[in-house]
Amino acid sequence: MRTQLKLISITFLFFIAANQKGSAADFFGEIISTKEEALAFVDKIDRAKQNLLWPNVKPSLFYDNLKLNLEKPGSFYPGRSTNFCSYGALSYLVMEKDPLGYVKFMNELYEKGESSFNNNHFKPSKEVMKAAGTLKFKGVLDVRHAEQMWFLVLADKFKGYLNLFHRKFREGDENTFWAATNLGKFDRMVSKMLSTHVTAVGSDLIKPWVKDVYSYLEKRMNDKIVSLYINNQIIHKKNHDKIKFSIPTHYIILKNIRKVDDKITLRYWDYGGDTEMQISPGTLKKIIFGIISIDK
Amino acid sequence: MIRCLLLLIISLALFSCSTKIVSTNYYQEHRGTVDSIESRYEKLNTIKPFSLAFTDKEFNIVSIEMTSDTLTRIYEFNFSEKRLADTLLKYNYDTTGVFYLIRKMQLTKVTWVNSFDYYINDQPRQLIILSIKPKTIRYLFSPPKYIALAYFRTSQSFDEKGRLLDGRRSKVIRKIKGQVFYRITDRICYTIMEKYR
Repeated sequence: MRTQLKLISITFLFFIAANQKGSAADFFGEIISTKEEALAFVDKIDRAKQNLLWPNVKPSLFYDNLKLNLEKPGSFYPGRSTNFCSYGALSYLVMEKDPLGYVKFMNELYEKGESSFNNNHFKPSKEVMKAAGTLKFKGVLDVRHAEQMWFLVLADKFKGYLNLFHRKFREGDENTFWAATNLGKFDRMVSKMLSTHVTAVGSDLIKPWVKDVYSYLEKRMNDKIVSLYINNQIIHKKNHDKIKFSIPTHYIILKNIRKVDDKITLRYWDYGGDTEMQISPGTLKKIIFGIISIDK
Repeated sequence: MIRCLLLLIISLALFSCSTKIVSTNYYQEHRGTVDSIESRYEKLNTIKPFSLAFTDKEFNIVSIEMTSDTLTRIYEFNFSEKRLADTLLKYNYDTTGVFYLIRKMQLTKVTWVNSFDYYINDQPRQLIILSIKPKTIRYLFSPPKYIALAYFRTSQSFDEKGRLLDGRRSKVIRKIKGQVFYRITDRICYTIMEKYR
């Protein structure tokens, strides 16, 4: 019943929020820092210091994780059964643009409990600071304390209408509406964190009005970074029921798309690595709810 | 009459009983087969990681996820398609072994097999999950039900109600995919889920 009420409220709020503008005025077209600069910065940090502001974050796991993020930027893992996938996609973009900014931000956040990234100030709640380092049974995220901190802090800062009834973090909220991201929120988040121009077609309930999705994506990928807001449950079926409530559930970064005969091969980034999948043009159209184009 | 019928349907829809699994002792009845599926999967998965799922009710369509260090490939095949064997061969999987596993899963109605990593004292551990589509009595609008079996490599701790705990000295209930698991043996536990993965 609670879920039904939530769904009704969310559907109602969707119509209010449907006019959210998915674009940002600023334009940023260059990489701000390099991986080498960021690695040099991390190497100078005293990694032994424990900070009581983050009582459950182990310094060794935190700094090892930062280093891994730099050495393998695609390794960000939003965790099993969480609602962190949008923050995962954002991380991928941040690491492409400004790895030094990321490690400086994380280091200051760890030391002082607050910090700014690209003029966005983050001062996480005490509950979030206590939760970082405690997430368990999420796969490799269990031992990635910097990523736990990063995802929790992002979810705590950025809010959309899906988070309206669930604004304050409680234990286990990484799996709930507290961490959920609607399309408008994702666009805003990417635009603010990267100071880049973001445009999107589609919405949270209605699919984009694009006649030939394959050609559209192929064209967009020529000069943009493309992120997709998809219904993952169609390609990653979870039960055998034929009638399903079709809603988007997942954000991915599209890396490549090609078509041979009537089969489309998608290569995308999510959950710490690349995935390649073959689907039909019909399925492609069915799964996509949002196409987000981000200026390179 | 129509009004009564409508009322009955609405009542059924709103307050209907949940799906009932016919067998109350699935594991004991199929122990030999499900244990052999788990051990065979464990051997194959150690050599080259993968997961298998049947995505249709008839157990004809197999979804296979093949994982390497750099890439996860997801394919869906009809079991009778030649492409399935070709693909396994192309990516150096033990084709005979995987086919045997698929056949066994089909016969026992195991709908998904996968391995999970988890951490104890920051050290990685692995468990294997098998989802089974049991015979059920389903009512209108009631969700499907699957039995999930979790196979740990080492003995686990449980509370007095048989619920899986976080550790030997912990009283915290460990949830896997948001579900509480219950003891079958020291190393094997189960839960009932509305999703098979």
